[in-house]
Amino acid sequence: MVPVDFYFVLACLIFSLGLFGALFRRNLIMVLMSIELMLNAVNLVFVAAGRAIGNVDGQVMVLFVITVAACEAAVGLAMVIALFRKYGTVNTDILRLLRG
Amino acid sequence: MPDFSLLMTHGVFHLFAALITLCSVLVVMSKHPVKSAVFLVVDLFLLAGLYATLDSHFVAAIQVLVYAGAIVVLFLFVIMLLNLQPEQLRGLKFSAVEAGTLVISLVGFLITVVATFKGDQTGLGDGSLDPVAIEAAGGNTYVVAMKLLTNYIWPFELASVLILMAIVAAVVIAKKDKKKTSAPIS
Repeated sequence: MVPVDFYFVLACLIFSLGLFGALFRRNLIMVLMSIELMLNAVNLVFVAAGRAIGNVDGQVMVLFVITVAACEAAVGLAMVIALFRKYGTVNTDILRLLRG
Repeated sequence: MPDFSLLMTHGVFHLFAALITLCSVLVVMSKHPVKSAVFLVVDLFLLAGLYATLDSHFVAAIQVLVYAGAIVVLFLFVIMLLNLQPEQLRGLKFSAVEAGTLVISLVGFLITVVATFKGDQTGLGDGSLDPVAIEAAGGNTYVVAMKLLTNYIWPFELASVLILMAIVAAVVIAKKDKKKTSAPIS
């Protein structure tokens, strides 16, 4: 089996890329997609670590993470639609009411 | 003679890892959201492949069905519905705080990984469910289902409540407001 460290490094790369997108993209939908990327990195860690230590609790946890990700995507995209309907844009440079 | 199966496993992992990294970069960097969504699908399929090489067949199937099949399609629907234009070509704006956050997080992750997971992983778990034991117990799906429906029955039931709440919330939030018509600010 491939050493589990490799999976962790790969997951770190994916997570960092997702963090980069969530911080720097100005499109709310792109921010949500970057968050999905980060959740996938976490899933990879769960599965690889569970395989390395020989139990399946990590895989069960991945199922819950996928459930939460689906809920988050549904509610987040509904909020994007509501924002777009109200303000006519999804650019976070313009939607800065809560930024202070 | 070199161990051919080991070489093969490593080759598959490195090929998939390279492709996943490439697709993740493209997801984050693409100008148009539709391109990003398509690369996200490819990314999720490749991750499902990695799960399959880790003997997690049920998670791999769910990854393809739920993530690539449902969530990304939802993203694509919303992108089409809003008819978004590509972001302006003025490029990504970096503030010093943002760039610093990114660099610190990257370095921190790498340090954590190297410091924590260097060396062997013996003694981390009981190891009672290695692949041979899982096969003997009836296969990956059976073992995961047994865990999910016995040890994790409460989280499982709560997840259904969460999904119900998300459905209601999504409908209520995205519903057209009939009473007041607000003009766009721009």
